[in-house]
Amino acid sequence: MRAAPLALLALLLVPSPRLAAAEAPAPSNAPALWPPRYANAPEELVPFRRVEPYQRYFTEPLPFYGPGRDYPDPPGLKTLRVGLLAPSPGSSDAFRGAMMREGVEMAIDEANASAKPGELPFELVVREDSPLWGSAANILVDLAFTDECLAVVGSIDSTATHVALRVALKAEIFMVNTGSCDQTVTETSIPWLLRTWPDDRQHGYRLAELVVKEQGHRRIAMLRTNDRNGRVGVKTFVDSVRRLGHPVLQEMRFLPGAKSFETQVARIKAAEPDAVVLWGEPEDAGRAAAALRKGGVTVPLYGPERLFGPAFLAAAGQAAEGMTITYPFDPTRTDEAWTGFVERFRKRYATAPEAFAAYAYDGTRILLDAIRTAGPNRFRIRDAIAAVRRYEGVTGTMVFDPTFNNLAPLRIVRVKGNTFHFEKALAGGK
Amino acid sequence: MTKKPVTVLACAAAALVLAGPLKARSGRPAAELPFPLIERFEHFGPEQGLPAWKVHCVLADKGKVWVGTTKGLAVLEGKTFNVIGPGQGLSHSVVTALAVDPATGDLWVGTLRGLNRISAGKVETFTQTSSGLPNNVVYSVAVGKDAVWVATAAGVGRRDARTGSWSLFDSTNTLMHEPWAYAVTLSPEKLYVGVWAGGIVEQDLARGTWKEYRDPDGEMELDLAPDDGPISDITSWATWEDGILWQASYSGVARYDGTRWKSYLEKKSPLVSNFVNFIAAKGRVAWICTDRGLTVTDGTSWATYKGAEGGGGTVEITRPGTPPERRRTATAMSNDFVLGASITENEVWLATSHGLTRGILARRIDQATAARKTGTQGASR
Repeated sequence: MRAAPLALLALLLVPSPRLAAAEAPAPSNAPALWPPRYANAPEELVPFRRVEPYQRYFTEPLPFYGPGRDYPDPPGLKTLRVGLLAPSPGSSDAFRGAMMREGVEMAIDEANASAKPGELPFELVVREDSPLWGSAANILVDLAFTDECLAVVGSIDSTATHVALRVALKAEIFMVNTGSCDQTVTETSIPWLLRTWPDDRQHGYRLAELVVKEQGHRRIAMLRTNDRNGRVGVKTFVDSVRRLGHPVLQEMRFLPGAKSFETQVARIKAAEPDAVVLWGEPEDAGRAAAALRKGGVTVPLYGPERLFGPAFLAAAGQAAEGMTITYPFDPTRTDEAWTGFVERFRKRYATAPEAFAAYAYDGTRILLDAIRTAGPNRFRIRDAIAAVRRYEGVTGTMVFDPTFNNLAPLRIVRVKGNTFHFEKALAGGK
Repeated sequence: MTKKPVTVLACAAAALVLAGPLKARSGRPAAELPFPLIERFEHFGPEQGLPAWKVHCVLADKGKVWVGTTKGLAVLEGKTFNVIGPGQGLSHSVVTALAVDPATGDLWVGTLRGLNRISAGKVETFTQTSSGLPNNVVYSVAVGKDAVWVATAAGVGRRDARTGSWSLFDSTNTLMHEPWAYAVTLSPEKLYVGVWAGGIVEQDLARGTWKEYRDPDGEMELDLAPDDGPISDITSWATWEDGILWQASYSGVARYDGTRWKSYLEKKSPLVSNFVNFIAAKGRVAWICTDRGLTVTDGTSWATYKGAEGGGGTVEITRPGTPPERRRTATAMSNDFVLGASITENEVWLATSHGLTRGILARRIDQATAARKTGTQGASR
């Protein structure tokens, strides 16, 4: 077993207080618990690993040296406002956004229901993103200065999150991100964002190990969406399989919403791969999978968490059979934290929670706990969140790295009989 | 406009000149620094009429000091602050960027909700819905001879000075890797754009052609080698002056002279912190505003100003080939989290997260030469 999973396993096995719905997070600052390498990268997948670079970043928690912790509380507060930067209802993130909003609302309502006498209630201020370019920046200005929120949850779209984060730095308001997969969001060195959603870097590492080391593929092709999510998302996987000695032979792209994949399938078939990795929105990737099979590409297919769900299965049809993806956590768990959350969510919304709801719930819980601990002061709230090293959420144990990014081990899911099946987790997260 | 008299804080009045910068530790006469040291700091906050503690930007021009705060634009004339806020037509209270048109004297004011031009006392507003401004969140403004350039959260806007028409530059029609622009700065021939996650792009103004400068290693988690290009693809600010392009990032500083890049990092150089908010340049000297103090350098000699425990501050001076020399100062900046700077012949104005600071510059030659003349010992430690 490699050192990296061992180290992470050690992190996860350290006893921590169980977090019930209204309990505070369990911050720990023991420096020995930091992962051995940035993002808990497997040693052989570390960039330029044979030389010592001039400088390594992200080895220590991102600090904030500015003033503000002793600023007086805002006068006349009747509620503790939390902003939600929600995806546009008309965007491709609409369903995920709805799930995120439900998770946030449920966390806030539960926190208000368990408030102690004298504690101010939380108030959610929702502002929806729009297709206007850069609108997330304007929305964050509104949430920070017009609505005077203490902190913000959001968003899912990586562009919106990046744009909002830069405003968050100017406004000095903390963002809890619960749904963006863009690994670069937490690589900006801005100490005003924590992410509960395991990012594409984690999926890239895990997929590379799965495809090359565990499944023994040597001729890998890729079919991915030609947009920012595709371009940024595949980077870690592409770099990792190259570092493992088996670079991607053919990387083909399709436009979001594409219906025809003839050229891409022909090129991929000509490359004679023994595995194909799909990356994109589930509907697009599903159609791409179907096109590959129709075109005679019969090799195993792989992909990241975005392909989990009925949309991919519906679009792919029979082509989904045998597809393997990585997924952030195990929703088949039977522990009370998860089953209780699912039961409460079902009762409230008459549907099962998706991962976007679960991570939004967990992220909001971390935020609300920090506000209760720190009081209505954005700077102390930042410090309280930055101190969270581990968190027992409904999604399981989250372990945050120095960039405030969740490094929880991923799960492997396979499609059998048009259904997703979670493989049993092995020690070390495998 | 509201007017309040300015009263410089008592501590500033009692300040004393740097405590004797006279000889390097080696005993040899200290080499003359290529920039003046700050001998005294004065503070301005709400008690002096500033509308807010947090100051995002500052610009000293022709006897006036324009101060962009969280609660409006303040202008210091003589001893009085006048405040221009949304009530006077400013598009938003948070002022993020300032630039003066040297030809007209107009002041361009970037805010978190639009761009403003203050001309002859009147405020004119440009927003993304009322003009061609790419996005309402304005991070940087630069005035050229025929256009105003604006870096926004969704690209760079160019407003033609003659026609008033706007052009948009972003990742769809330039080499910008991402559309998010955070700085614009001009040389006589070129425009430089600091791009979030896209390094720096340069436009040849005559030809309209673009060139891109990126961190060669392509990794955010490390810098593979020094002096190989921009220090990071995350550019937080860029400044061009006297043939030198300075890149600020949250991972350090880079200097480009048109031929070679140099990297400057905390602990590997005298740079006080890798988290750099802003760089102001005067001549070939950069005034680097970080989250832990102010570092001044021409790339070879350095001075870093920080507050000290118990009051006052320190300046650490590093000359080529000599050990750093740390001196105690009687006064310090209002706060070490420095967000902006503007330099004149005799003073430097600093925007900090907790107040406006005026730094009085020592006479250029007095530091080292005074030591040689008097032979007195410095108070370095």
